[in-house]
Amino acid sequence: MSESHGNMEKKWLDSVEATTERFPERKDKFRTSSDLEVERLYYPTNDSEYEEKLGYPGEYPYTRGIQPTMYRSRFWTMRQYAGFGSAKETNKRFRYLLEQGQTGLSVAFDLPTQIGYDSDDVMSEGEVGKVGVAIDSLKDMEQLLDGIPLDKVSTSMTINAPASVLLCMYIAVGEKQGVPLEKLTGTIQNDILKEYIARGTYIFPPKPSMRLITNIFEYCQQNVPKFNTISISGYHIREAGSTAVQEAAFTIANGMAYVDAAIESGLDVDTFAPRLAFFFNAHNNFFEEVAKFRAARRVWAKIMKERYQAKNPKSWKLRFHTQTGGSTLTAQQPDNNVVRVTLQALAAVMGGTQSLHTNSRDEALSLPTEESARIALRTQQIIANESGVADTVDPLGGSYYVEELTDQVEAGIEEYLKQIEEIGGAVQAVEEGFMQREIHHEAYETQKAIEKQEEIIVGLNKYQLDEEVNPDLLKVDEQLEKSQIESVLKLREERDQEVVNKSLEAIRSAAQDENTNLIPFILDAVKSYATVGEICNVLREEFGEYTG
Amino acid sequence: MGKIRVLIAKPGLDGHDRGALVIAQALRDHGMEVIYTGLRQSPVQIAQAAIQEDVDVIGLSSLSGAHRTLFPKVVEVLKEKNADDIPVVAGGVIPSEDIPYLMEKGINKIFTSGSSTEDLAKYIEQLVQPNKQQIEEPKKIAHIGIAVHSIDQVLPFYTDKLGLELENVETVESEGAKIAFLKIGESRIELLEPTVDSSPIKKFLTKRGEGVHHIALEVDDIEERLHQLKRDGIQLINDEPKDGAHNSQIAFIHPKASHGVLFELCQPSPKEDE
Repeated sequence: MSESHGNMEKKWLDSVEATTERFPERKDKFRTSSDLEVERLYYPTNDSEYEEKLGYPGEYPYTRGIQPTMYRSRFWTMRQYAGFGSAKETNKRFRYLLEQGQTGLSVAFDLPTQIGYDSDDVMSEGEVGKVGVAIDSLKDMEQLLDGIPLDKVSTSMTINAPASVLLCMYIAVGEKQGVPLEKLTGTIQNDILKEYIARGTYIFPPKPSMRLITNIFEYCQQNVPKFNTISISGYHIREAGSTAVQEAAFTIANGMAYVDAAIESGLDVDTFAPRLAFFFNAHNNFFEEVAKFRAARRVWAKIMKERYQAKNPKSWKLRFHTQTGGSTLTAQQPDNNVVRVTLQALAAVMGGTQSLHTNSRDEALSLPTEESARIALRTQQIIANESGVADTVDPLGGSYYVEELTDQVEAGIEEYLKQIEEIGGAVQAVEEGFMQREIHHEAYETQKAIEKQEEIIVGLNKYQLDEEVNPDLLKVDEQLEKSQIESVLKLREERDQEVVNKSLEAIRSAAQDENTNLIPFILDAVKSYATVGEICNVLREEFGEYTG
Repeated sequence: MGKIRVLIAKPGLDGHDRGALVIAQALRDHGMEVIYTGLRQSPVQIAQAAIQEDVDVIGLSSLSGAHRTLFPKVVEVLKEKNADDIPVVAGGVIPSEDIPYLMEKGINKIFTSGSSTEDLAKYIEQLVQPNKQQIEEPKKIAHIGIAVHSIDQVLPFYTDKLGLELENVETVESEGAKIAFLKIGESRIELLEPTVDSSPIKKFLTKRGEGVHHIALEVDDIEERLHQLKRDGIQLINDEPKDGAHNSQIAFIHPKASHGVLFELCQPSPKEDE
């Protein structure tokens, strides 16, 4: 089956040539401080086991990375998740981050927005603008993206249940800026299964939720082809307490459920699979994390090629964003967290991430201050520019330990996938609480191990200080909730209510017909300045609510 | 009494329930009965559930920053429903500067990130077990004990120079000591002079010379309090109370357990109270 040695190596060398034509390498020659030359890739010659099992970077099964030259051409995208308070305040933070050299935006929304409530809803009390920016209508979105050129900046939006609504708002702002839809780039998280499992911002039951997701796949493939339509997330599964193997396994199982749903709705796998993106965590056990990323890539590539018979190599590639582990941060001696974040970020880079968010040192205490957010970004910039780890592809490839760990993590993932398949797939496993139980068990064991000091957390259960220094923390203006409520009330008075009502009713009838794609109707409603809450309420009435 | 019943609740829209779930499980392992509300509970729903389930304590968890609004609201609703005898403890991502505000609003205690489940379980046990609730906090310093070689020699300093009033002098056999009490406000200074060589006061004087020997705290129900300290692993010199001056009941806590200070617990005789 496998191609002969020379062939695979040549294939890689050809793709290096093609790639470097589009994305030249950062330097003509990479050298160490002692002036030793750093090669693009280190690999064994004439080793068929190597070629089949690991492969060359940018070649199936992508163990060593999805691009032929990786960071020798371009660093990963440094993308810090940010957002708090009002759209105006967040817009200021975004502009600051872009000025500081950040290369992509990542929007954090507040919980009411994430769960489809307007700021004036009783359910929103106390939550407006707290964990992210409050967006009620297109008006807020216009303010959020004011002065940010959407044809140049890619934007990732952490939004799930109401992903369709926020995506439509983004599209509408792009239209107002005169940016053609096919030029819009970014990602919506849009991963509802992990919300049921670990994150909690669900609205509708699984079935209509899966429909909304496939509607987005279809609409974007036809209209917004460069937008990543989903970011299948292990991050929150890990934060909820899972192991590294569980994180990768449950995420891949969820990914398969989305592929199944899309195929079932009549889409060809190669039309949507290239736009699937992943989102992983990076915790402290350095080599295991590197192995996890490498194993996940290999498993996904095999599944897409063999099980789903995808033909387009882009469908085989697992592209992922990484965020360092929030739950590994301690409230005690918060400056120590800078070191943890550095280790975790390094693992993500050694694992070949496409983009990275580094957490701020104060996140166990509150939202990060501007200073903390800057140190977090600088951490990535130091790894990229000073450490030299980005100068050769997959520097840990070939390490006996890392390769063995990669194999073991892969085997662990496959074992879980088998179990989930036996249950009847990820949706069924979620509904039965299988993943939730597995994660909770691990979370409890971890807590016990920490309390018994079997697991040492520096500053927490060893090397404590008698007196902790209280750092300055970011405070969200308590008045914000009031002013956000006032502005949504004002909006409702100013807009053309008849147009809004019509567009909402159009969503209702579209929702009633399973075969209709909802996205164009939601886009119309958004443009009429219908609010997130109003649109989601119509869908609540039609789809019902998930109650956990 | 039966099992302690705890309601663990997630107020607001926050979906992070790893902490809530871990704590629910840990409290169950400590023999408590735990009811978990699930996500997205309003303060009214939480208060209602607490009353319906007849719980002994409510535990709130929030990581979204809404604690300043939502935690006090739960206490308020409990008050409205005449159920504010149910104590509320809370945890999550809570900046330390918010803690005084929350305590002022009626939250009994905040457990922030890194707290041990062991401590939490102990706290809840102490908070709700009625036989422990009867034990009130020490009311005052009953006296400060000062070891001296000879009461007769030092007494003039206390009475003439400091101007304190000598209340009485007596011998306490159990301590092998002669004791003089000087009144000061609602408290006393106790001068201790050894009468026999085996007296602990004698040992103290040989080792350290004259000086402050112990601090006595006035307590109710000394026996129960000693049991409680013992249960909590506090090392005691006297496991059972013994007779002290003025017909009081006394016992000493080991200075190892109290960081170098010798504390005496002292329950006055009922007559003494008047």
